Amino acid sequence: MDAGAALRKGWVVTALTVRYLVSTRRGIVTLALSWLPLLLTGALALARVASFDILLFQQLMLPLFLQVVLVFVTLVSATALIREEIEDNTLPFLLARPVSKPELAVSKYAGYLIAGLAFLLPPVVVAYGVTEAYAGLGLGADVDVLEGFLAATALGVLAYGALFYFLSVVLRKPLMVGLLIGFVWESVVVALPGDVPKLSLTYYLRSVLGGMISVGPYSGNPGYVSAPVAVLVLGVFSVVMLLLSALTFQQMEFLQKA
Amino acid sequence: MTAIAEAVGVTKWYGEVLGLNGFTAFVEPGITGLVGPNGAGKSTLFKLLIGQLRASGGELRLLGEDPWNNVGLKRRIGYCPESNQLYGWLTAQRFVELLLKLDGIGAAEAQKAAEESLAFVGLTAAKDRPLRTYSRGMRQRAKLAQALAHGPELLILDEPLSGADPMARVQILRAISEFANRGGHVIMSTHVLYEVERITSNIVLIHNGKAIASGNLHAIRALIDEHPHAVRLVTSQPRELAQALAAWDHVVSVEFVDAGTLLVRTRKPDAFYRDLPGVVVDRNLDVRGVESPDDSLDAVFRYLVG
Repeated sequence: MDAGAALRKGWVVTALTVRYLVSTRRGIVTLALSWLPLLLTGALALARVASFDILLFQQLMLPLFLQVVLVFVTLVSATALIREEIEDNTLPFLLARPVSKPELAVSKYAGYLIAGLAFLLPPVVVAYGVTEAYAGLGLGADVDVLEGFLAATALGVLAYGALFYFLSVVLRKPLMVGLLIGFVWESVVVALPGDVPKLSLTYYLRSVLGGMISVGPYSGNPGYVSAPVAVLVLGVFSVVMLLLSALTFQQMEFLQKA
Repeated sequence: MTAIAEAVGVTKWYGEVLGLNGFTAFVEPGITGLVGPNGAGKSTLFKLLIGQLRASGGELRLLGEDPWNNVGLKRRIGYCPESNQLYGWLTAQRFVELLLKLDGIGAAEAQKAAEESLAFVGLTAAKDRPLRTYSRGMRQRAKLAQALAHGPELLILDEPLSGADPMARVQILRAISEFANRGGHVIMSTHVLYEVERITSNIVLIHNGKAIASGNLHAIRALIDEHPHAVRLVTSQPRELAQALAAWDHVVSVEFVDAGTLLVRTRKPDAFYRDLPGVVVDRNLDVRGVESPDDSLDAVFRYLVG
């Protein structure tokens, strides 16, 4: 089969996955949660908080958006990709078609990426716009901050999604383990001394922010790796997790409920 | 021609539970009914045949090939799962089209093939409705349409009549027969012998994960006729329906299970299933579902296996 035909088949699964993720009640809740930064910056602007500027924006966005909203949205979305279709008994329709399981797994992840980025990137831009407008600045005034948070969000969607996807393939109930990793492990490990924080994904996301933003809480921090190294680590991690997911999925057996 | 499916000593363990226990059978070309009570191993066998499960032991071939992770083989088969869960937000037309595209069929051709397949199962009028609005009988037909649409050699149908109303049953059985008349092969499971017997006499009986008999079923028919066959009917007019059915001499009893459900026991299930659509239409009765509790079949199997 030629690559074009394979891509077209993959796109069918990808589009179906996007629709699946955005049309369920779970999707609507995660979409609403994704807009929390706008709610926050809007509230600060409406309350006319004097210290509300691009520095406060950064101080709020990391703990609230990158460590809570991003983790939650990617966890809920990525763990639904396979498990939800198993629970809903719709997976047999895809498995009965001449598409290999690894192709299915990768196409579903691509659908997750599209939905995840569509959920999480616009709120960052809008919240940034509100912050700059409140300060009476143009949108290009602190563009490095915008670029840094967009890059960190996109990489977070990529890496956390791959991790949680893998969990959903190997575990029957991936949410609990995902919650522990996403909220306990990631928060605790990054605060420990030495090289231990390098065992968390949030460490590399902070490195990306530190490397891309000229003035902010993480810029110039010697404890972090450079942004290119962080991007490389997150990219390799994501590819490895995705490959492991696809290989595990290839060997999975499926019992459907009657 | 060689067997459509061959199973030799196939075993499937689910942890410590045995799903199939040395199942051996050869499925001939044409229509074959896999008949057995719930829990007999029918769905396990089907999932092994379509490669969703891997056998723990024994040898299994479908159209001459090992089905486990066999992508190429899937082009040659159409599968209709037992579950009635579908992508509820999709229309039937879109549902069939999407699955056809996974067969590598182009958009225009997929649209045409989906329309034809939905027409074949009698869903043209409802093809643009979301699947979540479909009745159980319509869902069964939508599942059948997606299984047929890419022109497979073999249909594997897991309880295709389960929960369907009388008219849907007639349409489904007609579609299956027509597919077979055009040279296709069908393996369909049911726990209601009389459903499959209307379109084939080629039967494999399965019980406790083993094939206990296969071939022509006329000899076993006599045994089954000794056990009144139970049929559960869902209706908004139980009194009128009960009156109509009680008039048939082969109906042994009519029981009101609840406000909308009748349990009928008959000594002639074939006549019952044959005549039911007629009485429903003639008297303009509302019958939304027909199901057979497998207790009567189970009794026969217990008799057969001692």
